[in-house]
This record gives sequence, C-alpha cells and structure tokens, in this order.
Amino acid sequence: MINAQSILKELLYCGITDIVGLPDNCSATLFALLNSKNEPKLRLVSREGEAFALASGLWIGGKKPIILIQNTGLLESGDSFRGTALRMRIPLLCLVTFRGYAKTKKHNENFHKKENNHLYSQPSLDSVALFTEPTLKAWGLPFDFLSREEDTKKISSSIRLSEELGSPVVLLVTENMT
Amino acid sequence: MLSKEELVRSLVAARRNAVVVTTMSIVRTWGRYSNSDLDFASADSAMGHSADLALGIALAQPKRKVICLNGDGSMLMTLGSLATIVEARAENLILLIVQNETFEITGNQPIPAANRIDFSMLARGVGFKNCYNFDDVQRYEQTLDSILKQKGPTFLTVKVESGNEGPLSRGSTQEVAYLKPSLAESAHQLRETLLAERCF
Repeated sequence: MINAQSILKELLYCGITDIVGLPDNCSATLFALLNSKNEPKLRLVSREGEAFALASGLWIGGKKPIILIQNTGLLESGDSFRGTALRMRIPLLCLVTFRGYAKTKKHNENFHKKENNHLYSQPSLDSVALFTEPTLKAWGLPFDFLSREEDTKKISSSIRLSEELGSPVVLLVTENMT
Repeated sequence: MLSKEELVRSLVAARRNAVVVTTMSIVRTWGRYSNSDLDFASADSAMGHSADLALGIALAQPKRKVICLNGDGSMLMTLGSLATIVEARAENLILLIVQNETFEITGNQPIPAANRIDFSMLARGVGFKNCYNFDDVQRYEQTLDSILKQKGPTFLTVKVESGNEGPLSRGSTQEVAYLKPSLAESAHQLRETLLAERCF
C-alpha cells in the first residue's frame, strides 16, 4: 500500500502545479484528496489521450504538470503521447497505475513469444498488464516502479530525470493508494 | 459560406495578444496572414488534440485569450474534449471549428455525418454558454470582435469552402514562418515568449 498523502506531499515539494488525468480504483484515494485541495490543481479529462495534449499546453503556458492515469489509458494515449509531450520534448512525469500487475508479473518477460499468445485471452490474467512494460520499452520511455511507501522519493528523482532528458518519464504504481 | 481567407483576415485583425493554435487545413492560410510569436501550428503533432493543447495553454495563462482553430474532422476525433473544456471552466478559451465538411489535406474525403452534424448544438449540450454559427462573411466580420471579448469558454462554428491544402510538414523550406521550426522548437519558443511576457 502507498499513502496518497505521501505522494501529494512529494508532488508539492517538487513544485507540481497541475495533475491531469482520470481516476481508477488504485488512484481513487489520491483523486479524492486532490478534490479537497486547491493545489496542485486537478484537471480531469474525458479520455486519457487528452491528458498528454492538455499537460503539454500547461507546460507551454508556464506550469509544471504531471499525468495520472491507468495503464489502459496509457495504451489509449499512444499517438497523443507521441505527437505532443514526446515530440515537443516536454519534461513530464506520468504516474501510471498498473492494473493487473500482481497476477501477470511472472509472465511479463515472456508473454510476447508466439507460444504464449494464449495468455491474452486467459480470464485469470489481465492482458493490459502484459502489454504495459513491453510498450514502454518499445516507446523508449524510462520507467520505474512505485510499489512501497519509501518509493515516493522516486517522484522527485523521476521529475529530475524528465527535466534532464527533456522527455516524459513513467512511474508505474503497482499497489493501491490508501 | 466563407473562404478560409475571409475567416482568417478578420481574426488576425481582432486577435490582439491572444495565443492562436491552428491545425490541419487552416494552418497555412493562417500563416500567410499572420507572423506572430503567439502563433502555434499543431502540425506534425497528434491528430485531433489541438483543442486539448489550447485548453492547457488557456488554463496556464488565464489573463490571455487563447483561440483554437480546429478542423471539423479533428473535433470529431475528440468530442469528449468539449466536456473537458467546460469542466475546466476555461473562460479565456475560444474554440473555433473550421467546418469544411471534409478531411481536406488527405484529399477532401467527407467527414462522418458531414452535412448533418451541428457542432454548436453539441457544444451547447455539454455546457458551452456562448455558441455561434456563421455561414456568411458580413455577420462574421460584424460580430467577431465582440464575441472575442466575452467571458467563455466560447464556441464558434464557421462554414468554409473546402480548398486544396496538401499534407502538413515542418522545416526550413516551408512557405509559412511558423512551420519552419520543429514542433519541439515551436513549443519551447512559445513557452519562452509567454514566460517573458508574464501575462498570468
């Protein structure tokens, strides 16, 4: 479990002004917390692809936004991510909640082999989890994991990395926020 | 119905210090009449997302008007953005749909529901308070200035003739100035301009 309050504290410490995204079960607590605060500003979108363009516009306008979406939404955002934040060289932390992580962890390295195609349709596995890490690797996006309370320090180091690279970086949130 | 030139000429005159984000078939027309550091072409970018980008700029720069010249085909790709704009209460955002009813830069194929869709009705339905339709130049020219002064978000649909603009690209050989830099250079230049002017 990761404390949403700790994440918020770290985001404020890093000077984040806006959080752009869409809630899921994992991030619901953080969204509820953000709804009760004036800073950072919560910017809800109707679908995740909007989030990368909106966040890019915020950055162009002088703000310091981050993205908060689920891994399903990351896949939906492919062209928006490519054509805005990545192509515009915008430093942007993306907190991506990792739906299905626990059940699929052992398969993540090998699922893309032809003989493992049956995993996509296995009801006990969540196929989005199988796609998440290979997609990030294919897109050349640096990523790390936010799995424990002490990992919240990775927020500031990931933001620094995105600023050094002039590129989005991803933190995959593997546990529910409390 | 207006020509694209008629749409652009009046807007260039009325925009004052607004940021103008363009996309698709209106990009070059705008660039032929305007050469401002506050112009941004959403070209070589993500299809359908110029309104989202403009919304972000508008939220970051609440004291400055932001005008987005979006295509009708582009708007169809992200209709949910209309709800996002209303939810964000971006009072300084003006979203103008250039309605030519075609995907012009890929050869004027008709967009879905080309001659039936009422964009202003959609916008009004999600909560835009100011919605306008224009299909004659005289009324457009007479009312544009007052519309831009209103508290938004504001939504305009302008019916224009389809033309023959080809695919967009960027680089030093491009005809219009704001397509010469790369997308990244344009984004960073606009940020520098906005931060230097400090119009927050």
